[in-house]
Amino acid sequence: MEVNEFPYWVTLAHLQGVTTRRKNDIIVRLFEEGKTLIDFFHNGPENWRNCYNLSDKEIQIFSQGIDEIPNNSFLVEDLLEQGYAIVPITSKEYSRMLKKNLGRLAPTVIYTKGNRKIMQEDSIAIVGSRSANEISLQFTDNIAKKSAHEGKVIVSGFAKGVDKQALDSALNYNGRSIIVLPQGIMTFSSGFKNYYKQIVSGEVLVISTFYPRSPWKRELAMARNTVIYGLAKEIYVAESSDKGGTWSGVMDGLRRNRIIHVRYPESGEKNANSLLIDRGALAVDLEGFVINDDINPDHVHVKKSTEFIRENICNGTISFENKIREIIGNKALSLGDINKSLDMGWSMDKLRNRLKKLDFLEVDKKNKKNLYRIKSEKIDTQKLLFD
Amino acid sequence: MNRRDAEIELKKKFGFERFHDKQWTAINWLLKGKRVLLIEKTGFGKSLCYQFPATQFHGLTVIFSPLVALMRDQVDSLNKKGIEARYIIYEQSPEKNSQAIKEAIDGKIKILYIAPERQENQEWIEAVRQMKISMVVIDEAHTISVWGHDFRPSFRRIINLIKLLPDNIPVLATTATATAKVQKDIERQISGKILTLRGNLIRDNFQLYVIKVSSEDEKLIWIADNINELEGTGIIYTGTRVNTEIYSRWLQFSGIEATGYNAGLDANSRKEVESGLMNNKWKAIISTNALGMGIDKPDIRFIIHTQIPSSPIHYYQEIGRAGRDGKPAKLILFYNSAKDENGIEEDMKLPKAFINGSRPSIENYTQVINCLKDCSLTEEQILKMTDLKQNQFKVIKADLIEQGIIKEVIYSTKKNYEYQYDAPELNTKLFEELRRIKEEELNAMVQYVNLDSSRMKFLCEYLGDSSNKNYSNCDNTSLKNYFLNPSGENIKRLSDFRKNYFPELIVGNSKSKLVNGVAAGYYGVSNIGSALNRSKYKGGGDFPKFLLKLTLKALRKKYPREKFDLLIYVPPTESGDLVRNFAEKIASDLKIPLSHDLVKTGDTKPQKIFNNSILKKDNVKGKFSFQDPEKLKDKTVLLFDNIFDSGATIKEIGAMLTKHGVKKIIPIVIARTVGGDI
Repeated sequence: MEVNEFPYWVTLAHLQGVTTRRKNDIIVRLFEEGKTLIDFFHNGPENWRNCYNLSDKEIQIFSQGIDEIPNNSFLVEDLLEQGYAIVPITSKEYSRMLKKNLGRLAPTVIYTKGNRKIMQEDSIAIVGSRSANEISLQFTDNIAKKSAHEGKVIVSGFAKGVDKQALDSALNYNGRSIIVLPQGIMTFSSGFKNYYKQIVSGEVLVISTFYPRSPWKRELAMARNTVIYGLAKEIYVAESSDKGGTWSGVMDGLRRNRIIHVRYPESGEKNANSLLIDRGALAVDLEGFVINDDINPDHVHVKKSTEFIRENICNGTISFENKIREIIGNKALSLGDINKSLDMGWSMDKLRNRLKKLDFLEVDKKNKKNLYRIKSEKIDTQKLLFD
Repeated sequence: MNRRDAEIELKKKFGFERFHDKQWTAINWLLKGKRVLLIEKTGFGKSLCYQFPATQFHGLTVIFSPLVALMRDQVDSLNKKGIEARYIIYEQSPEKNSQAIKEAIDGKIKILYIAPERQENQEWIEAVRQMKISMVVIDEAHTISVWGHDFRPSFRRIINLIKLLPDNIPVLATTATATAKVQKDIERQISGKILTLRGNLIRDNFQLYVIKVSSEDEKLIWIADNINELEGTGIIYTGTRVNTEIYSRWLQFSGIEATGYNAGLDANSRKEVESGLMNNKWKAIISTNALGMGIDKPDIRFIIHTQIPSSPIHYYQEIGRAGRDGKPAKLILFYNSAKDENGIEEDMKLPKAFINGSRPSIENYTQVINCLKDCSLTEEQILKMTDLKQNQFKVIKADLIEQGIIKEVIYSTKKNYEYQYDAPELNTKLFEELRRIKEEELNAMVQYVNLDSSRMKFLCEYLGDSSNKNYSNCDNTSLKNYFLNPSGENIKRLSDFRKNYFPELIVGNSKSKLVNGVAAGYYGVSNIGSALNRSKYKGGGDFPKFLLKLTLKALRKKYPREKFDLLIYVPPTESGDLVRNFAEKIASDLKIPLSHDLVKTGDTKPQKIFNNSILKKDNVKGKFSFQDPEKLKDKTVLLFDNIFDSGATIKEIGAMLTKHGVKKIIPIVIARTVGGDI
């Protein structure tokens, strides 16, 4: 990608009033049409309306965005000059795991400093409370040690408690680490100084998805958790309360059908680890091994994830849309097949009505039978851009 | 907008009837959102090519210019025309700069001039996000290619910025001096579809002369003999700062109104000289090439070079400051072609030394890289760790940034340097290539000196203008040569001058009672250095008598009527009793009390072992005290040392004595070193 495209990416990434999904939809279209973001911005309102179905409100937002591009050129120059990298979602350097896990909700642009190659390697997130107890910190150390020895990259959020322990343990055991910031990347000066040697030697990569000069904010800290979970192939929770970042991060992960390992708490511990296990997370012991019901009948709280998913579709926690995407995949299925796989006990009419509302589906008639498939062009693009 | 409409606007806003055709071509392209490189000689009206479109665009035009004086002139003139323009420069108060930024954000101004270094300023970067930018201009665009290292980092950033700007934002790069090679380089660097307009470079009003001499004295005498015959006022360029002092003092000694100027002067003194130049206060200002760039004085009537510039481009650039009003201007270049015992021409030595010294050793580069592999450091920290000179570090820093090995990062407001993960190896081939080009350029300059054909034609062709003009404005074509015919009067005067010339020690400042002092001579230039050396290191005994005589003469010359209450001397590091003994002799001759109360409170090392001024300052910081401070109250003190280098010791002692209530401190030394650190 030419550097002159960066100001356009930065502008798009931080446009207010347009969802990430919408931004990524546009990127996917451009990708499949072989066009760049520069082409898009310069094609203007008529083209946006006719080819990309932008609403009047969106057109107004994008028009304002055009005015911001020269200004963002100054910002991009400063970022590159200071050694930060800008990695758009279409870049080969962008984490494949993040795209796979978050799909079209993956951040449009990530800002980094350090060894970007480690974004493509097997990774594990260790998360937990800022005021974690000793056992949780020990658990974190154990998982970090194991992962470091296995060559896995440890993803953490640079908060106190578990995050900090995960990072320090990773480096202590000569592992590599990704720090996901709850702030803009240009406001992390003390961290850059403290981890300078590790950044320079390629052991640490610092990532932020926020506007580069944003200071730390609670809502950014919450939003950053999604990225931590998204970057990691495996997720381990040392300790969580029943609200806050760790809790909502795990719940979000479960909604996305991620397998999440939660340390099984010792009796008397005041945390919500058991509650998370109740909701579908996998219980693990202090060394990170999954606690098997057959071996230890005491652990009755562990539920099968499919059961949990079904429950959550009913109560709306897991998106119906995602489930259908998963069931159909790249096949063409009849209504009956889908209903069978969905296993919700719905009537065919109810399912047909729900499927009608999904704009990513198309229906083919074959032997008088309706076959549902995900619109073909999007499948291709997904393979290229998000797989 | 068509030309007719544009010219109606031009009349309204600028008072001119019409554009030249070429001006309109450039303006028309810019109005259509193109990128333009405009290479035109001084006086063409390049600034109108951006000022006019700036008034037509909805948003702001940002002009990057290295020329503070030019910014001031143009902003004043635009505001008088009712076109809102501002500048942001370090010489202006932060409040005024912030005000200009605010007005730019609020859309109250059309044109904003800024120095390229501003792109490194975080307040600016943050503010520019909120401005509506319509056009970007790079003034003096040749600096991207030919300027020395001092200017490169900031210009490199401007180029990077231009590469990132959307294609539909018009960009104008202007210069008066660009060879075909430089033109190509600018086009490549600015990238995109750039349209180039190149005019012819001939300056018909120039009268070019070369005077070959066989000694420095011949130059000094010729100038004293002839300068009053030259019409109007002008500039004399020297190759070194020391020579600005020697030449200006010589001309003053000869009764000619003259003053010196170099980048070592403080900001107020520089401003004073610049404004004096505008008002023709002196017949000549003797300066390094720091003076003149961007000063919009139409009637500089002569420019004399006492030393050849490093290339014909530099020469054309420097003489370009003369005769902007189109009236005749004399451009005289001296060249000392006397050869030394190795067959090297005298005036080749300085530019060759500049080329040789332009790049530090590879070891120095490695030293900086290794420091930065361990931690992020400020410039001061690096200088302390490496003992590199500031200007050496400047070159290393620029090269390492250019090659992507280190980056300059800003944490809060502090600049730090950082090694980069995956940094490439240092590429020294580039340095060799650059050195080769510099040597070629210098040879071309010597070729100019030795020409027997049109000098203007040579310069124009060197700069890529091969238009077939009739060149008849030099000593090789239609003009009468200048000959050397030194007057007996000035030969004698020069000999008197030499005997009475004593270098000044510039240490005075408003915060201390220290005033500028004087030295008996330069170390290394006369026999003074060798005499000191013999006594200090070869067991030659006390400093010889002739040094005492000279030192006292220097003092009387500088301060003929000053009454001193006390003489104190700097306690030695390695001179034993030499300084004390010499001080005793001065005290006895001047009949003033000598005090031995100035003592060291800690160990210091000889200042000469340090290369940079930071370490020199650190070496003496807090290391002196005065045992009986009561003696100092309201006293005029003569402070003696044997050698003056960076001035750090004198300044440190000056600050300490000031605290004890001294009335005035006058430093005097036997020798001042040439150069020192900047």
